[in-house]
Amino acid sequence: MSFITIEKVSKEYATTRALNGVDCTIGSGEWVNIMGPSGSGKSTLLNILGGLDRPTEGIVTINSTDINRLSEDELARFRRETIGFVFQQSHLIPYLDATENVMLAQYFHSIPDRGEAEEALKRVGLGHRLRHRPAELSGGEQQRVGIARALINNPNLLLADEPTGNLDRSNTRNILELLKELHAQEKFTVVVVTHDPFVSQWARRVISMEDGRIIRDEPVRS
Amino acid sequence: MLFNILKRSFLNQKRAMAVMIVSVAVGTAIAASLLALSFDISSKVSRELRSFGANIVVQPRITGLAGVSGQKRYLREADIPKAKTIFWRHNILGVAPLLVVRDEKQNAQVLGTWYLRTIALPGEKKGFDTGASTVMPWWSIEGKWPAGDSEILAGIGIAEKKNLKIGDRVAVGGRQLRISGVLNAGGREDDMFVGELATVQLLYGLPGRISQVAVSALTTPMDDFAYKDPATMSRKEYEKWYCTGYVTSIAKQLEEVFAGSVARPIWPVAEAEGNVLSRLELLIILLTAVSLLAAALGISTTMIMSLLKRTEEVALMKGLGANTLQTVTVFLSEALLIGLAGGAVGYLLSLGISSYLGYQVFGTALEQKGMLLPISIGVSEVISVLGAYLPIRRALRIKPAIVLKGGQ
Ligand SMILES: Nc1ncnc2c1ncn2[C@@H]1O[C@H](COP(=O)(O)OP(=O)(O)OP(=O)(O)O)[C@@H](O)[C@H]1O
Ligand SMILES: [Mg+2]
Repeated sequence: MSFITIEKVSKEYATTRALNGVDCTIGSGEWVNIMGPSGSGKSTLLNILGGLDRPTEGIVTINSTDINRLSEDELARFRRETIGFVFQQSHLIPYLDATENVMLAQYFHSIPDRGEAEEALKRVGLGHRLRHRPAELSGGEQQRVGIARALINNPNLLLADEPTGNLDRSNTRNILELLKELHAQEKFTVVVVTHDPFVSQWARRVISMEDGRIIRDEPVRS
Repeated sequence: MLFNILKRSFLNQKRAMAVMIVSVAVGTAIAASLLALSFDISSKVSRELRSFGANIVVQPRITGLAGVSGQKRYLREADIPKAKTIFWRHNILGVAPLLVVRDEKQNAQVLGTWYLRTIALPGEKKGFDTGASTVMPWWSIEGKWPAGDSEILAGIGIAEKKNLKIGDRVAVGGRQLRISGVLNAGGREDDMFVGELATVQLLYGLPGRISQVAVSALTTPMDDFAYKDPATMSRKEYEKWYCTGYVTSIAKQLEEVFAGSVARPIWPVAEAEGNVLSRLELLIILLTAVSLLAAALGISTTMIMSLLKRTEEVALMKGLGANTLQTVTVFLSEALLIGLAGGAVGYLLSLGISSYLGYQVFGTALEQKGMLLPISIGVSEVISVLGAYLPIRRALRIKPAIVLKGGQ
């Protein structure tokens, strides 16, 4: 059975139909990229997969849970136990240092553990930046803190929305190499939204969207 | 971790925090001072109101044939110290024995009382100073209170009618007495001769007798329960009634110690006092509520402003999986901390405000200083939790998706 099942999912806003009958399945441990022009519904789909938003129609099953049936608090619990998010803006809390930003995810999940948080930062190559505030970190470093935070609670699903959108080529390469390495070790499922073809080289499968629909879904030749 | 978040978030928005702490502090100081004042005001004001004279009168109980035949009944002077042995003895501020007799020759009444007497109390070192001068403090005497049993006062009315002056001699009770002064009491006493109780008892052959006792007592304002008929009360209710300082229960207790007596509240006095007190308390409660609300509003607006700046932060916390309880915990603990800090500052302020109020209103400091700290902390926590209510509701409504949507 597949890890993620998306059936006839639509999302309507007051004036727009952001998703228009999306069907798709993703297997456990897969690395999938979602590509498409601006406004095609990529972020909307990703937010629904992460339980940040609810579809207007259709069913989303993740790890055998119909997430549309969950209450707000159950959804929050689903997010902290199953999902890791990486955003384009790193969304770090400005007044907490790198370690504390990672510990924040531990705090809402269970019990903060400084040693574990520092270990996670070392794994993303930030052992020398543990006490730095976000403002004192480069964009690439901030994104690494975001990745450490996303993975600290061992999620089954890593969702990343333009994780390298603010980064230059070499930083993009470093971040994706890091993700690839962590993916190889931890075997979580990865869904990355991007419109950068360069990023697609890291995926095994690319889903292309347009006007709220999937128009292509094909494996990547490496 | 929570503490860390709070500490950092405090340091990160010093200005907003300072504004909130100050508004809690000011609200707390005002509310706590008013509350402390209201605890004091009952006792202080009713003490002041007591200068309007007796609110309970104890008279002989007239029963059976005695009532029909118009026979005179008396109370015993010896029972007076017992008024200070009842359950509410500390509320008895003054007692004055009154013996009224009719002098046929003068065609006037003669009143005997104590002017100022110290009565020894069983088991207490200090005696109890009482008499007409404490129960009827408005009595004004031109000249002197009679010294010894050959002197008497003339009421101002009778003095005018009979053209009597200080130093004149007058025949009262079959003896020639010297007028030592003229009494202006503004009441029935103005048409009487007034003398020392012992003198009047001697003149009319009524040793140890008195016709009534005027009592001035501090009382608890009457409430609905107080008006219940004690005869219909359950044992428990009766006990509660008996042990509350209502004018009726104090009267009942006085009745128990004066042999053959009936004690009644002087209703106009007792009721006027009760009204003044309950209105005063209502006023203070309203003022307190207003200052609480104003402070809570102050916090609420500042907190909402700070929350608007932190929308992304709240969305992120939710994205990381914070549920309702966890979100509330973060903001409520922030509010409680602000409350604690504001309460501490407010306490210091209220020390100043309450002594100022005390001196302005009563001319002395408030007695309830010790309660200010717990009141301040309590009040400030109420303010900040009240103030945090709307911001927290708003925080709970923040949708993570809208804020965290990547790409743009
Ligand atoms: N909260 C919203 N209210 C109304 N319309 C919205 C909202 N969020 C998204 N939309 C609309 O839905 C459509 C899809 O938006 P979405 O953010 O999913 O696009 P995207 O593929 O992520 O684009 P980009 O590459 O620019 O990030 C757009 O037309 C957008 O204007
Ligand atoms: Mg997007």
